[in-house]
Amino acid sequence: MTSPLSLTGLPAVALALVGGVLALQLTNGGGEFEPLHPADPCEARAVTSQAEGIDGLTERLVLLGIDGAACRLGVSREAFTLQLAQPGPRTDAEVEALHDGLLVAVGRMKEDGTLPPISDLVDEAMDNADLNRFLEAAIRALPDSVIDAALKTDDVLTRAIDDLDLRSILENLDDQDGINEQMEAAMTEAVKDALVDRLRNLL
Amino acid sequence: MRRAVAPLLVVTVALVLADSAVVTLALPDILRHLHTTVGQVAWVLIAFNLVLGLVAVPTALSFSRSQPRVVSALGIALFAGSSAWCALAGSIEVLIAARCLQAVGGALALLGCLELLVAVYGERRGVAAWVTAGVVGTATGPVAGGVLTQAFSWQAIFVVQVPFAVLAVPAALTVRAAPALPPDRHRPALRPNLTLALLSAALTAALFLLVLLLVEGWRRSPATAALTVSVVPLAAIGARPLARLLRPPPVVEVAAGCFLVAGGLACLGIPPSADLAWTVAPQALVGLGLGLTVDRLTSQAMELRLPRVRHAGWTIAARHVGVVVGLAILTPVFTADLRDAEVPAQEAITALVLDAPLDPEDKIAVAEALGAELVQEEGRIPDLHRAFASLELEPEERPAATRLERDLDAQLERAATRAFRDSFLIGAGLALLALLTVVAPRRRTPS
Repeated sequence: MTSPLSLTGLPAVALALVGGVLALQLTNGGGEFEPLHPADPCEARAVTSQAEGIDGLTERLVLLGIDGAACRLGVSREAFTLQLAQPGPRTDAEVEALHDGLLVAVGRMKEDGTLPPISDLVDEAMDNADLNRFLEAAIRALPDSVIDAALKTDDVLTRAIDDLDLRSILENLDDQDGINEQMEAAMTEAVKDALVDRLRNLL
Repeated sequence: MRRAVAPLLVVTVALVLADSAVVTLALPDILRHLHTTVGQVAWVLIAFNLVLGLVAVPTALSFSRSQPRVVSALGIALFAGSSAWCALAGSIEVLIAARCLQAVGGALALLGCLELLVAVYGERRGVAAWVTAGVVGTATGPVAGGVLTQAFSWQAIFVVQVPFAVLAVPAALTVRAAPALPPDRHRPALRPNLTLALLSAALTAALFLLVLLLVEGWRRSPATAALTVSVVPLAAIGARPLARLLRPPPVVEVAAGCFLVAGGLACLGIPPSADLAWTVAPQALVGLGLGLTVDRLTSQAMELRLPRVRHAGWTIAARHVGVVVGLAILTPVFTADLRDAEVPAQEAITALVLDAPLDPEDKIAVAEALGAELVQEEGRIPDLHRAFASLELEPEERPAATRLERDLDAQLERAATRAFRDSFLIGAGLALLALLTVVAPRRRTPS
């Protein structure tokens, strides 16, 4: 005769053990140990940079610009970045999306007050610009308040973005030095041109 | 010599059945050493189990015309010779051929040793020793293989088998086997063999997938993986005292064992992190289940059925065909899942690199180094440390880079764990199918 304990004892122990381990795993996040899910690129996010000056501003602008472009294309920021990392020609949609994304990024930074005043960028722009000594000295002599009153960072950045040959940059992403040169040159040129224009008007 | 005969035969049985999964932890080393592909290297495992599963029954059928001690000695010698050949193999094709031959020798040795152990110990004790040796061999195979691979090389797995087998040949020849009983009409025990096959397929998930997850997914060393999976054999040892304490009927014992294996595999599929501690309890469940089922089912399939060796052949076939079926089902699933995991893993890595507190130039350098590493690994999980070690960073950037490397490793672990989930759950499903074969109502026989 089989006793009830011998019939139910081991199944009860097995049930308790499996249930206990399963509950322990699930209450500690079992089943959720997965890779990060890409964030929605259309939602505003705070971006920071370790670099300062024009480099830092460029990095923040690019990070937000990629967000905006990805949002426009309906893909994640990460998927768009990986897409750009593939060699080959770029579509018009990609180039336009990045252009528009960068412009939206300028707007976002202006709105949240993270755009630096243009006077913060002048010294760096002057160091990199090839200006005659008198003009450079005249610009450097201008007080920051005059420069900031005369020039808005968002206008300067918009001009820089419009001047950039984004297709060429995107098609030569493996030439990092070339990209840096182009980006920095565009930013420097935009700051310099705006300052020179403003100085001429003042004079 | 006479006192060593039975232990040597028991060790031989354990060695042959350990070979079923002994190379699991060595597969990455074999892949690199023999410059082969993942698909081909899997055949080092599949070939042995497939051949052993296919030749076990025909070998058993031809047994009545042969002397057990001669067949055993011949099988053990063939097993030893082909083990040595495995160790010397210079190409994947040779290794697979040697593994096939090893399985043929193994089948002869297993069946011969059964008859010899019965001759030495008597019917009940002899069969019990044979069954137990098989369970111990199956459970400890991956552990032994991992330790040997880490301590010496993958070839050591095969080299260490040779002296045991060489000693077992004369030992086998000294045993006078009991006279063969007249064959009767016992048909193979369908239900225990079917349960055994399904459970073996499920256990493949535990023994094969888990070590792959540990070594390839979580980047643990073979020795660490071996130590980790030793929980399974240790828990299997604990199953007997538990069964003795609760005294369940055999069918309840097997059903509970199947349920424990299914539960353990399901838990292995959903660890909360890549901490090895989270694998201990699920493995203990699998080990307990293994200890409650495999030897009991093998005994059920052979109990009071003659000729004994023929029914032993069926159990060997069921177990190893089950392993092959398990590999055939699980390998395409987890390789496809690993491929599918690449995109989320790359996106997670991209997100972390983009947001890393590094200078823009250093971020780009990290991205380029990671890209090169991904290309070099050709679809396998990359070693990010190599990519970071190749970077020339300013000292003040190093802490942030180290944090980023750790975070990226965590993302890879997450992606690999996710990729193995479905396979573990399928393994659990196979164990539940095994449970169904146990609890399904039996056909009534007319009185």
